[in-house]
Amino acid sequence: MPRFLHTADWQIGRQYSRFAQDDAVALAEARFAVVERIAQLAAAEAFDAVLVAGDVFDAQTVSDRTIRRLFNALQGFAGPWIMIPGNHDAALAECVWSRAQRLGAIPANVHVALTPGVLEFAEQGFAVLAAPLTQRQTHDDLTCWFDAAETASGLLRIGLAHGSVQGILTEDIDSPNPIAPDRAQRARLDYLALGDWHGIKQIDTRTWYSGTPEQERFKNNGAGQVLAVEIAAPGAEPQITPRPIGQYTWQHWQVQLTVDSDLDVLLQRLSEVAAPSVLDIALSGQTSLSGNYRLQQALSVAEARHRSVQCDFADLRLQPTDEDIAALHADGYLGEVLAELRECQQTEDVETARDALAILAGLLRDRQLQEGME
Amino acid sequence: MKLHRMRIEQVRQFRQPLEICDLEPGINLFTGPNESGKSTLVRAIRAAFFERHKSSSVEDLQPWGDSSAAPGIQLEFDWQDKRWRLAKSFLRQKRCDLQVGGQSFNGDEAEERLAELLGYQFPGRGASKAEHWGIPGLLWIEQGSGQNIHDAVAYAGDHLKSALGESLGEVASSAGDELIARVERERAVLLTSTGRPTGDYARINQQYDEYRARLDELDASINTYCHQVDRLGELRQQQQEDAAKPWQDYRRQAKEAEVRLAEVEGWVREQQREQKELQRCLDSQRLCRDQLRAFAKQQQELEQRDKARQKAETTLTELQARQEQVETRLAQAQTSYQQARETLKQARQDEQRTALSRESTQLVQELAEIDGILSNARELQAQLQQQREQLQANRIDAAQLKKLQKLSRDLDDLAIAQQAVATRLQFELLPGQSLQLDSESLTGQGERLLLEPTDLHIAGVGKLRVQPGGEDIADLVRRQQVLQDDITGLLGSLRVENLVQAEERAEQCRTLQEDIRRNELLLNSHAPDGVDELSNRQQLGNQRRQELQALLAELPESAADKISVTTAETHLETADETLKAAEKAEASFRVELGLASQALQSSNTEWQKLQDEIQSPDRQQRERQLNDQLLDLRATETGLETSIDSRQQQIDAANPDILRQDINRFTRTADAMEKAAQERDKELIRLQTSLETLGAQGLEEQRAELAQELQLVSRRRDEFSRRAAALNLLLELLKAKRQVLTRRLQAPLQRHLNRYLQLLFPQASLTVDEDLIPEQLIRTANGTEERGDFAALSFGAREQMGLISRLAYADLLKEAGRPTLIILDDALVHSDPQRLAQMKRILFDAAQRHQILLFTCHPENWRDLGVAPRDMQSLKVSA
Repeated sequence: MPRFLHTADWQIGRQYSRFAQDDAVALAEARFAVVERIAQLAAAEAFDAVLVAGDVFDAQTVSDRTIRRLFNALQGFAGPWIMIPGNHDAALAECVWSRAQRLGAIPANVHVALTPGVLEFAEQGFAVLAAPLTQRQTHDDLTCWFDAAETASGLLRIGLAHGSVQGILTEDIDSPNPIAPDRAQRARLDYLALGDWHGIKQIDTRTWYSGTPEQERFKNNGAGQVLAVEIAAPGAEPQITPRPIGQYTWQHWQVQLTVDSDLDVLLQRLSEVAAPSVLDIALSGQTSLSGNYRLQQALSVAEARHRSVQCDFADLRLQPTDEDIAALHADGYLGEVLAELRECQQTEDVETARDALAILAGLLRDRQLQEGME
Repeated sequence: MKLHRMRIEQVRQFRQPLEICDLEPGINLFTGPNESGKSTLVRAIRAAFFERHKSSSVEDLQPWGDSSAAPGIQLEFDWQDKRWRLAKSFLRQKRCDLQVGGQSFNGDEAEERLAELLGYQFPGRGASKAEHWGIPGLLWIEQGSGQNIHDAVAYAGDHLKSALGESLGEVASSAGDELIARVERERAVLLTSTGRPTGDYARINQQYDEYRARLDELDASINTYCHQVDRLGELRQQQQEDAAKPWQDYRRQAKEAEVRLAEVEGWVREQQREQKELQRCLDSQRLCRDQLRAFAKQQQELEQRDKARQKAETTLTELQARQEQVETRLAQAQTSYQQARETLKQARQDEQRTALSRESTQLVQELAEIDGILSNARELQAQLQQQREQLQANRIDAAQLKKLQKLSRDLDDLAIAQQAVATRLQFELLPGQSLQLDSESLTGQGERLLLEPTDLHIAGVGKLRVQPGGEDIADLVRRQQVLQDDITGLLGSLRVENLVQAEERAEQCRTLQEDIRRNELLLNSHAPDGVDELSNRQQLGNQRRQELQALLAELPESAADKISVTTAETHLETADETLKAAEKAEASFRVELGLASQALQSSNTEWQKLQDEIQSPDRQQRERQLNDQLLDLRATETGLETSIDSRQQQIDAANPDILRQDINRFTRTADAMEKAAQERDKELIRLQTSLETLGAQGLEEQRAELAQELQLVSRRRDEFSRRAAALNLLLELLKAKRQVLTRRLQAPLQRHLNRYLQLLFPQASLTVDEDLIPEQLIRTANGTEERGDFAALSFGAREQMGLISRLAYADLLKEAGRPTLIILDDALVHSDPQRLAQMKRILFDAAQRHQILLFTCHPENWRDLGVAPRDMQSLKVSA
């Protein structure tokens, strides 16, 4: 009974410009690490093969070192790795694959289908119908030929393709490379392993997107897993099991603060989120100066726990309360300035006014602390 | 605060106590000349307050040279309904006593109370200086420092501000200024004073630009890479297509076209050959025809020649008929001519004889005449010869004669002179007596002129020598002798004996000459050319006469019917012409005849010749041959034309030009394709190499890294930018609020200032800065606002503004419940009378609220201040 892992969209070589330097490095490293874990999983559970449905590399011109590292990361699994180029690493006249070949970096157990064709793995009991991308973008369905392709009887027919299933993934799809939604049925496939969609997506009983094994977007779509596929015999319905494999979960929160208890809820949630995560928090609404102080403290704690915590305050206003002002001893015209800044947030440049307010509050708090020490 | 009394003792010039009582609550005017002690009074008041009683730095208070003196000052003043009595003495006796109401204070304690009351400080040690003087320093104006208000206000600042503060209540922020300073410091970290990024912010901006530029570079490289990859793909595909060598097909097509062309070119050559043949055939035809035409022409010519021959025959016959007539006419003309000639000869002889006869007659007459004349002329000639000989013999030279005449006259003149000078010897001798005068014997009576010494011999007596007087005598004698010699010479030359004879002879000559001239004229009239000529003519005439006679003898006698020569000549002429015409006619006839016969002969010959030729058997055969040949040629021509036409159609259908173009086109296409394929191969290798190099650089990975860094920098830049904006906003707000507050705080001071200022400059205002120091004087002149910095005002104006400001401060202090005492030492000396008048109004107004001590050495300036001045001198005296 053939068992294999289906994965895709490794996007090796991707960089994360929105994060701080060390976070970005760690997240880029995580992409190699997840490949190693896939190898470990395949080896540990004795899968027959690993199918990678395109976009192994994020770009054609990654460094030689990156190429070598990727193939080194496959060492943990000695069985066959079957890969096709996707739109990011299409098999062009000169491409990352031809470079890898020149470098001699591709191990013998890694089968890269640079041209469309059938690869038969009689020992494992299946034939792979590979539809690699040989152009960055194509408007032809590269899997058309599957319909007429003959394979040895008794072998499973496994399609391997990269692109967008027509009519289902119309939005937010990486490339226009179209794939007919009923390809599996028309081509009598036992399974169609797809790549390009970064979340897990089932098209029909035999057609799946595995998603990327290591999350790299704030999208809650099942990314960070591989699919373990078991098919009893040709024609049998495949048994699909998603297996978590990613290191970091990426979470995007949109939080509105209106009353003090909202802040308490947020701080609670922040303290409970599983570490390490990549957090992106967008705040709106308003908070008092003291509330802001608490928020900053909590974020500071969270930054230490997680890979990355980013917080967007653009829509958050600071509303100093009378208590705030009293606590800060903002007497005389300083009080007037505080009040005016508070007003400014309503009418003018919110961000600048809030920043100014925060600075003033900070300075006043510092002064108080100094006075307190004196 | 009201000062009532002051007393000083052993202070500078006041060794004796000086007491001033009953000081007014308003203005107190002290007048006196320089050195009268005004400044000493001021110094004493200052010392009483500012100097510590223990101070040893106050020696200047002692009277000059008196180090044992103990300068003492007593002051009495009211404050808050209490009488304050201060007694202070220095140096030798250091004491300070202060009584307030019922309370007494001594020493330092007393001094601290005073300082607190008036608002000043004591120095730590040494003499009190301006920075310690506080409020009094502001209100007590020293001589010549009225204009300098800046320092004084600064030293009094805290007191003034507290006065303001108290009046407004504590509304100011306790830490506002410190906060502003901190915000400014924070801002300075990011921005320069002009608002440009600095420090890290500037660096991050620069970094951002650099990264941006590098990113653009990388993008360009990546773009190039992608294009090259695409190109490589294309090339690969084309290379595959090239493998089939598609150009070979074109080469084959070119080959085919070449073969076809070779065939067509063979036709073309054949065509050209036949065309040449056709041409030759046509040429031969033309030759045949030409020949036949020539034969036909000869026949015509023969006929013409026959006609010509007949015509010549006719002409000759006609001419021969005319011959006799012509000859007859000639003979007649000859005869006529001969006759005319004879007639003319006879006429001429006749004419000659007549002429000769006439000449002969005439000649005889002439000869007779010549004979007469000739004899006369010969006679005259002989006569002339004779006369001339005679003249030659008697010739007298007229010049010599003239000279002789002159010499004779001179001699006569000399004689007269001698007579005049000569010694006159008159004698009357007795008869018989004689005297021997030299050689002359004198007798009788007479007279002698003695011109030279003369001896007078008197016989028997001896000799008397008479010596004529003078030298002239001798000279005259010499001259006489000379003249006499000359005359004698001349006479000899003229061959005469004397002058008379000479003159006679001269007359004779003249007469003779006239005769000769007359005869010569006569001779000339007879024989103008001379006698010989005449004689010749005679001779010639005789010869001619003889000739004529001979000629006449020869000539026959003339006929009876003689005709004139002219007529004869006319006749001859006519005859001659007729003859000539006849001769000419005859000659031309002869020529004509000759020509005609010759023409006949030649035309006969020509005709015969042609006739013979035409009639020759050779020629007949040739003509036949030609006609046959022509027929053959015509047949050949037709055959060729048909062949050429059909072949031309064939050639045109094959279109060799287009065939050639095809060959060219196919060959070039093949070449180009092959070359392009080779170029592609090269480009492919080049691209492959280039891509391998570029690919190894990991461009996109680099780009991703750079984009990440750029993002970071960009974020950091945004943070800086936001912080800068926030700090700007905060600072702006803080300053604005602070300024509003300051203005509010300054309002009372401003009010007092303006109250005084209106008296000096209506509608003017004086602004003060936040340290309450006058800043700008704003005046309105002619509707325009005029701002002048305090420091830039004239000295006089600054002094006036300074005083106004101090009075305003005093009002402010008074409102705040502080004591005020104003001391002016020689104030406003730089003000003009007009301003001074206004300043006096101001002072008087201020005096309603404050006590003012005014010291001046110009009492006349302050007469109208409404108070009686205290004269320092009289104060001293009364003391």
